[in-house]
Amino acid sequence: MRWGRFGCAVAAAALSIGCMGPALAQPAQVNMWSNWPDEPAKKDWVSARVKEFEAANPQCSVKLSFIPKADIYTQAKSAVRTGQAPDIFYLEPDQPEFLAGGFLEPLDSYIDLSGLEDWAKPAWTSKGKVYGLPVEAYTVELYYNKDLVKKVGVDVPANFQLTQAQFADLVKKGVAAGITPISQGVGDRPFPGGLLLYEALLRKLGPDDYGKLLDGTLSYKDPRVIEVMDWVKGLVDAGAYPKSFSTLKLGESHFYFYNTPGALTFPDPSWFTGRAFAPPESGGMPANFPLGIMQFPAMDGGKCPECKTLAVAGSFVMYSKSKNKDCAGALLKSMATRDNGTKWMEQVSLQTGLASDPSKIKSAHADYFAELNARNKGVKYFFGTPLFHYRAKCAETYTQVMNNAFPAGLISVQDAADKMNAACFKG
Amino acid sequence: MTSTTALPDDIKSPGSVADPRRTSWPVLVVFLVPALAIYVGLTAYPAFRTIYDSFFTIEGLDATFVGLDNYRALMSDETFWVAVRNTFVWSFIAPILDVSTGLLLALALYAGVPFARFLRVAWFTPVLLSYVVVAILWMWIYNYDWGILNELLRVVGLGALAQSWLGDPNLALGALIVTHAWKWAGFNMVVCLAAIHSLPREVLEAADLDNCGWGAKLRHVIVPMLRPTLLNLYILAFIGKMKIFDLVWIMTGGGPLWATETVSTYVYKRAFNWNTFDLGYPSAIATVWFGVVCAAVIILNRVLASKDRLEY
Amino acid sequence: MALFSMLGARDPGATPLPRLFARGGLALVIGAYTIYTLGPFLWLASMSVRTTGEISLDHYAWPSPFHWEQFRIAWVDSNFATYFWNSTLVVVGAVAVVTLVGAAAAHALARYRFKGNRLIYAVLFSSIIFPPQITLISLYQILVDYNLYNSLLGLTLVYISLQLPLTVYLLEGFFARIPQDLFDAAKMDGYGDIEIFRRIVLPIGMPAIATTLILNFIQLWNEFLFAVVLITDPDKRTLPIGIRAFMGDHFQDIGMIAAGVMISVVPVILAYIFFSEKLIRGMTAGAVK
Repeated sequence: MRWGRFGCAVAAAALSIGCMGPALAQPAQVNMWSNWPDEPAKKDWVSARVKEFEAANPQCSVKLSFIPKADIYTQAKSAVRTGQAPDIFYLEPDQPEFLAGGFLEPLDSYIDLSGLEDWAKPAWTSKGKVYGLPVEAYTVELYYNKDLVKKVGVDVPANFQLTQAQFADLVKKGVAAGITPISQGVGDRPFPGGLLLYEALLRKLGPDDYGKLLDGTLSYKDPRVIEVMDWVKGLVDAGAYPKSFSTLKLGESHFYFYNTPGALTFPDPSWFTGRAFAPPESGGMPANFPLGIMQFPAMDGGKCPECKTLAVAGSFVMYSKSKNKDCAGALLKSMATRDNGTKWMEQVSLQTGLASDPSKIKSAHADYFAELNARNKGVKYFFGTPLFHYRAKCAETYTQVMNNAFPAGLISVQDAADKMNAACFKG
Repeated sequence: MTSTTALPDDIKSPGSVADPRRTSWPVLVVFLVPALAIYVGLTAYPAFRTIYDSFFTIEGLDATFVGLDNYRALMSDETFWVAVRNTFVWSFIAPILDVSTGLLLALALYAGVPFARFLRVAWFTPVLLSYVVVAILWMWIYNYDWGILNELLRVVGLGALAQSWLGDPNLALGALIVTHAWKWAGFNMVVCLAAIHSLPREVLEAADLDNCGWGAKLRHVIVPMLRPTLLNLYILAFIGKMKIFDLVWIMTGGGPLWATETVSTYVYKRAFNWNTFDLGYPSAIATVWFGVVCAAVIILNRVLASKDRLEY
Repeated sequence: MALFSMLGARDPGATPLPRLFARGGLALVIGAYTIYTLGPFLWLASMSVRTTGEISLDHYAWPSPFHWEQFRIAWVDSNFATYFWNSTLVVVGAVAVVTLVGAAAAHALARYRFKGNRLIYAVLFSSIIFPPQITLISLYQILVDYNLYNSLLGLTLVYISLQLPLTVYLLEGFFARIPQDLFDAAKMDGYGDIEIFRRIVLPIGMPAIATTLILNFIQLWNEFLFAVVLITDPDKRTLPIGIRAFMGDHFQDIGMIAAGVMISVVPVILAYIFFSEKLIRGMTAGAVK
């Protein structure tokens, strides 16, 4: 160090050489942005993986920052263009523009692909290469309050799936008893308002035609689609959703469901746990809450009552202009193992696109996880939510119309179908 | 600059001091160059870049020249026109609310209400809060279930009027305008107050002697004399509203059904939320809007200022 | 004459408009308006000493007990001390520079006749209109090119450029109304151009300068978009980003948000009270001369 300082003092040329000496000995630094600053379980999982990696790889160091998702996207959108993006950052598959723009590095040569679930790979596969590490995966579930549902006089059948008419009846009974049937709000999210409708559409149309609907090759004027929309519209008009639906935030809708005022059901992706399993004093679910999971209702004449949406959410990608690809790749490789997948499930109580071994899971929420697994036995998965398939104007229309206006009762079935067709239907 | 100033300097009448309205160019350089340098480096370049980009479609790092295609697409973009309509409604109507509230508050303080010092600060506090905080606060105030607005209505027995204020396309824009006026009235108050204080006292006293009523005095003396201030405030508010973004983005995101979409939120959506790196289209919106606002400000200035001249 | 002058009321000793307040109705209106402006703020203040759990159960309850530790949590554990320092550094620096540079330009544009005067004014002013959301990316590129990305200096420069047009616009309007006689007299006394600016324009323009100072300060202190995009280093974050950290994707920590807001806003209120009083004293002194 003293030598270095001396070198610096002599001349400008000596400065560069003298100061480089110590710098070379430093480990290469990997810059990594992760989401989940407000979700301790996920945050801990990421931090632990990074610590393990650093301990095992002294030649690499990691600068890990936890940044809210929206901020990561805003920053990354500017940063990738100028070569400033971090080596590894958080991304979800509904942001395909990063891949299309050539800003992502294929991971095939860095990680062991057998560490990923086969169903999760397509979310990040393009031209035969895998571009993302699908850490977080989820299914769309219908949570319910066992006590309240019993109280209004509805029995959930053994297969945990109500029929179309039974669900409408549940809604009616809830309204009559002064209990909001479905806790849901779209104050800060582009998708929750569409959960019930699109799960119903999936079960009605079956995966093939539902896929066409999301591709824009099946019209919203299809009689089956209109039939399901009519049914949902009936629920909406009966008062299924809270009056504060438009402004209720996702976090608030959690609280609405399991604290005050309480609701019968709560459709939510299975990342429900990220918020619900926070300590009750910071707004998490009360310990003794009678939580149940049922299937979304079966549609009359539905093609696939056993269908369910499965999707990949939080993933890590590598920046194609990263200057530390070796270290970054090694870090991702170290994360993509069966052990780590199991740990994720155990700690976060949520599915993962990493390979995992559910039988080994021992957690405080084991009962919950067992129920979640039971609801996912014999299920036929459809991959991707509407926003995973929809883009640009179509996605925006989905957000404004299907997520917000339609379930808020602001727009008729015909108008909603017209608007969606205008934005999404390719004829 | 020297060549233009040289001539008048030469013909100035002998014996008089140099025209104090003129100066040598080094002085101008000292005064103007720092501002211009900042302007050129950090404002003009990005602005020109935006105009330039508006003629391209940009995919990742590749830009394709598309001429006026973006502008053509813009003309038939329904959402854009809805955004324009909303922004215009907001920009022309809301400043009247802001400025008149500010003026009335300033008059109240000037007229000597008790606790004027305290009120001056109390009425100014909303100006000090950031948009993020104002947005969160007002989302709570408008909350259907427990928001103070609906609670008050229920308390006075008007529970039937309780609304989902931000959830109804007919009310949402109005609700946002009220929130924005809440934040900015205090600023207008402060400026109006200063202007009233600088009015010549004799005029107001003369009006008093003439036994002018309060309303008449306001209409015939105060408002005309404050016209330049009010005009300035109106234009400032107008520009602010033509660019309005933060409040809308946090409170409604442009919804429900685009009822509160503004040009800025639409630009942002197209630039950052549209699953594309294409800056061309949003740049075209920004460029068009730049022209519109410039034109509007010039017209406003002409119309209001010329009226000023005619009357006095 | 004066367009933007002082920020507060003079002592209304000899007010010529007294009759108005004989009416009690007006007192009521004023009381209601005060509750309207101050109420939400006090509500927020009460939430800053309550936990989010308590707030969710009853949004309007009186704090009991007072959770003062939320301020310690914000200041120490959540690094608000650093954010506060960063915000102060950036905003004070930017406001000082923009005021000086803007005042100089405004003075030249308001006082001197030269070719291109109105053009420069129009060009500077028009940039007020450009939506920042769109110039953001080019600006980002520039900062990267000059190695100012992710640095407080870069953010300061951007803030200066953001507020420059407004500053010039406000000050030019005021400076143009300073009577020419004053300048003529100063010239006679042998003042140079710079001295005139320093000894005449700045003191006389103080009320307008103070207005722009306060406006610039408030806007920059609360600025969010550029702060979030141009700064990624946690050690360099400013206060609005610090507050933002409590607004999670799943969970809004209302109590902590409120505490964070209080930390960021109370000094501004105090500064405003201090400056507006100080300014009034300065004004009165100026008026006597």
